[in-house]
Amino acid sequence: MTKTIIKYFIIFWICVLLQVLIFNHIVLFHVAVPLIFIYFIIRLPINLKLPYLFTLAFLLGLIVDILSDTPGVNALACILIAALRTPIYYAYMAKDDNTARLTPSISGMGLLEYSKYLLTFVVIYCLLAFSIEYFSFADVKDITILVGASSLFTFIVLLAFDCLIPD
Amino acid sequence: MRNLLNFIIRYGAWFIFLIYVILSCVILFSYNVYHSSIYFSSANSISSTLYGATSEVSGYFALRRINKDLEANNALLENEVLNLRHQLAEYKTLHSDTAEFGGVPRYDYVAATVINNNVRHPKNYFSIDKGSADGIAQGQGVVDHNGVVGIVNVTGPHTARIISLLNEAQRFSVKIKNTDFIGSLVWKGGDPNVAYMEEVPRHARYQSGDTVVTSGYSLAFPSNIPIGIIMNRIKGADDNFFILKVRLMPDFKSLSTVRVIKDNFKESVDSLSLHDI
Repeated sequence: MTKTIIKYFIIFWICVLLQVLIFNHIVLFHVAVPLIFIYFIIRLPINLKLPYLFTLAFLLGLIVDILSDTPGVNALACILIAALRTPIYYAYMAKDDNTARLTPSISGMGLLEYSKYLLTFVVIYCLLAFSIEYFSFADVKDITILVGASSLFTFIVLLAFDCLIPD
Repeated sequence: MRNLLNFIIRYGAWFIFLIYVILSCVILFSYNVYHSSIYFSSANSISSTLYGATSEVSGYFALRRINKDLEANNALLENEVLNLRHQLAEYKTLHSDTAEFGGVPRYDYVAATVINNNVRHPKNYFSIDKGSADGIAQGQGVVDHNGVVGIVNVTGPHTARIISLLNEAQRFSVKIKNTDFIGSLVWKGGDPNVAYMEEVPRHARYQSGDTVVTSGYSLAFPSNIPIGIIMNRIKGADDNFFILKVRLMPDFKSLSTVRVIKDNFKESVDSLSLHDI
């Protein structure tokens, strides 16, 4: 138990620091922004109690917000995606005791199912984050391009993460 | 009452969810360009320590090019100093009884290092390592060796957050160099090298390649500080004015050393506007 908490504590800070110190400054072709810190929410155990999940997601978003001068944007997007996490997971996995004990990962879900879960998650997150940040229908074209490019980029980076980090 | 308690216990998680959503909305919407709290910005002490430490390392990355820019700028200034010295000597011989040259200079410059910088948001900010202890206050202009880069937004004791020129909510009063055609410069997202000069009067004469400089009508900047170069003209929504596309001179992706402009006359000018009816 303690070991798991320490592990997630470390992942939390690695995600935050990688995002604000490195990935915030990588912008491909002015449109593709990797939002990799959501990896922490992606990899939390499915059976984690909802209050903990919401609190962790909110804190994660808030800290990234403070460090990258976007007050409220990622906090709101993170708390919303946290609420959508379980439905997204069960959209691709059968609902039984076995799957409920899992932590989403390639080894637990299989590469195909995990990729689908990851891609859905990332696309919805990017959509939420950029819509909240721009907050206007005038920029629909811009937002669509941003969401498309950014989610593809984020998806590739996160899949690479999964291949690098052992479970 | 018991039913209510049961209800709360049963859906407790969603109450927490709701509280967090409301909290983030409050942070999101109560947030205003000028009145945001220092704690929710990258100018607070923890973030600035973090960014200060990393900029120690990343500060070396673009040094070669920045150095080249500075050398060129230095040569230009040296030239100017020589010219001015020459002129001054001439004037001194012409009017030997002139009571004084100079007096209190109007502007002071404080050099600072950029410790955290962003160009990818619609509203960008960057932080510097000087704060109110060094005399920096809200509303002061910030320039680098290429031109205008922003305006001071919030200050901590040893850090300050600057509204970048790359911020859709911030406008700058500008004019076309050597003319009196005023406009307002605004960035509209996307390319960090391109901004737009709006509200340019129809009769304004210009050529692409002309320099756009600060107008001097705001207290933040002295006049004639370069900002960018006119690329071409764009049709505006209003027939009486047109919009010029401007290529910005500073390289916002690699800001390193900037100067904050302190206006020594600001207080006296401000006290004048208090007497407005």
